[in-house]
Amino acid sequence: MTAPVLSVRDLRIEFATRRGRLVAVDGVSFDIAAGEVLGVVGESGAGKSLTGSAVIGLIEPPGRIAGGEILLRGERIDNLPPSRMRLLRGKRIGMVFQDPLTSLNPLYRIGDQLVETILTHTRLTPAEARDKAVALLAEVGIPAPESRIDNYPHQFSGGMRQRVVLALALCAEPELIIADEPTTALDVSVQAQIIALLKRLCAQHGVAIMLITHDMGVIAETAHRVAVMYAGRIAEIGPVRDIISRPLHPYTQGLMGAIPTLTGDRARLEQIPGSMPRLTAIPQGCAFHPRCAHAFAACQQRPELLPAGPSQVACWLHHNAVPALEASS
Amino acid sequence: MSPDVLVKADRLSRVFDVSKPWLNRVIEREPRKLVIAVAGLSFAIMRRETFALVGESGSGKSTVAKMVVGLIPPTAGDVQLDGVSMFAREDEGKRRQLRHRIQMIFQDPYASLNPRWRVGDIIAEPLRAFGLAADAAAIEARVCALLRLVGLDPADAVKYPHEFSGGQRQRIAIARALSANPEFIVCDEPTSALDVSVQAQILNLMRDLQDQFGLTYLFISHNLAVVRHMANRIGVMYLGRLVEIAPARDLFAAPRHPYTRMLLDAVPDLTASGRPRKAVEGEVPNPIAPPPGCTFHPRCPYAFDRCRGERPDMTSAGASLAACHAVAEGRI
Repeated sequence: MTAPVLSVRDLRIEFATRRGRLVAVDGVSFDIAAGEVLGVVGESGAGKSLTGSAVIGLIEPPGRIAGGEILLRGERIDNLPPSRMRLLRGKRIGMVFQDPLTSLNPLYRIGDQLVETILTHTRLTPAEARDKAVALLAEVGIPAPESRIDNYPHQFSGGMRQRVVLALALCAEPELIIADEPTTALDVSVQAQIIALLKRLCAQHGVAIMLITHDMGVIAETAHRVAVMYAGRIAEIGPVRDIISRPLHPYTQGLMGAIPTLTGDRARLEQIPGSMPRLTAIPQGCAFHPRCAHAFAACQQRPELLPAGPSQVACWLHHNAVPALEASS
Repeated sequence: MSPDVLVKADRLSRVFDVSKPWLNRVIEREPRKLVIAVAGLSFAIMRRETFALVGESGSGKSTVAKMVVGLIPPTAGDVQLDGVSMFAREDEGKRRQLRHRIQMIFQDPYASLNPRWRVGDIIAEPLRAFGLAADAAAIEARVCALLRLVGLDPADAVKYPHEFSGGQRQRIAIARALSANPEFIVCDEPTSALDVSVQAQILNLMRDLQDQFGLTYLFISHNLAVVRHMANRIGVMYLGRLVEIAPARDLFAAPRHPYTRMLLDAVPDLTASGRPRKAVEGEVPNPIAPPPGCTFHPRCPYAFDRCRGERPDMTSAGASLAACHAVAEGRI
């Protein structure tokens, strides 16, 4: 097997505040292979977007990467100087953010923004760059790209703008795309179009995609593997089918039960009691144990992410070597 | 009017003027620009039922919600609650007694609570405004009871909204809506700003409160799965018009209007049996210049000449209504 495109090892992100250091991402590890879509799900504050920002080197102070490493094709990128990181960003790692209106500059025509990015990262002439921009817009499904290229962002609808942002991310033919909630601001019908587009790009160009979203439906349709995050840690990671139909971690089970479906009847939804802990008060041991119906003595100690069937799960219920505490209880 | 009908909207329309200022229009020789946000909407909501309106952004759902509670006046048409018009001048006196029977829950709990007020004051405001409590002690007792009802601690009454999470804030908004003992609550995307596990808590709470107090909901959402869990009957909106009204079960089992079918096909499938998700063609057109005839015809796979020229009326079949020529002619 070839080296994964992206490999994150034991990543830890901290924020220095007056009340001490807050650990926002704690010991997160995962790989993404070429042509693979890794979905990262979790609720607000779970650390999904921070993990994405760390990969592209956009963690702003007071946040900082306090430990672990990030490898792009086996090369460490988390400790690169800003000038070298800037060359990488956009060239080898593309980005798509949630709000397509704020990720485009409203004062420039979209063609200028595309050409600027292409010229920064390739050796094309301006005329060639413009041809390439037109081709990219056609590829992401914008009708009449030759004339639309001279429009401003406000002349596009939300879905079309997100296509432009995708074209922008594809300019330098990156190996990895970080898509942070790319469909959250869009209506379902447009969302379906953007998902189809992401899947096609992944299949045709062999791009690795890290898809960050809170929408399990989007993950179910797009991702090959899913990482479920809770309070800055990965609770469970595994193939999408297994996570959705046979979730192992009690948090994943609760999350799946809480999602209203189109097939269900007009009945009560399952609910997880309580709410996600604040960063100032992450519980000892397994971060989920105060809300967990299956918690037992061992949960006072933090479980490692260990293989369980085709997935990996951080839960003592699925580990063989339960700490000695259990015997006494 | 049937005694079971609590709220009735009758050919409700709302037009927004988005033209440039007069001088610019004269100099640039531009006509007025009007957005028809809601056009001739009629529906009835029965007592103790949840009626849902679904549709994409810009379909006019929230405008309907604001008109139903009387926050904005309609350009034409009327809303009646228990036979009393919300807008007719002659019903002014009766309307006063009506106000506390209608409440609203808004989408964004970060914006709908005054950040400078304590939670207790926020919840007590309707009690004071409508004079529903005898004295300060009665108000305090009621606030405590309401906080407990929505799953918060009575001690939370002295805190400020910023001390709460999104889900807790939405609980406060629900407590405020309930404080005036309403019969009818308009919920405009009450869970769109919340995470799924919190959404489940809030939806369950709303269902329990409905059973406990016999509430009637107008539930507005863009999320079909949420609507499926909450609603008895559903109205589907497209560009300011209702295209289909049907009991929830029928709508999901056998959608009739092509737009409803398209919306259902576009929802991501969680069970992911491999049902192909149809890539939907096109986007919602500009409401300033909506297409003639049936406004959905440019995106409709079943459109034919009649759809381009003639606007379809609602035709009924069983318990459901659909505005589509193809459905009326039995072609689909």
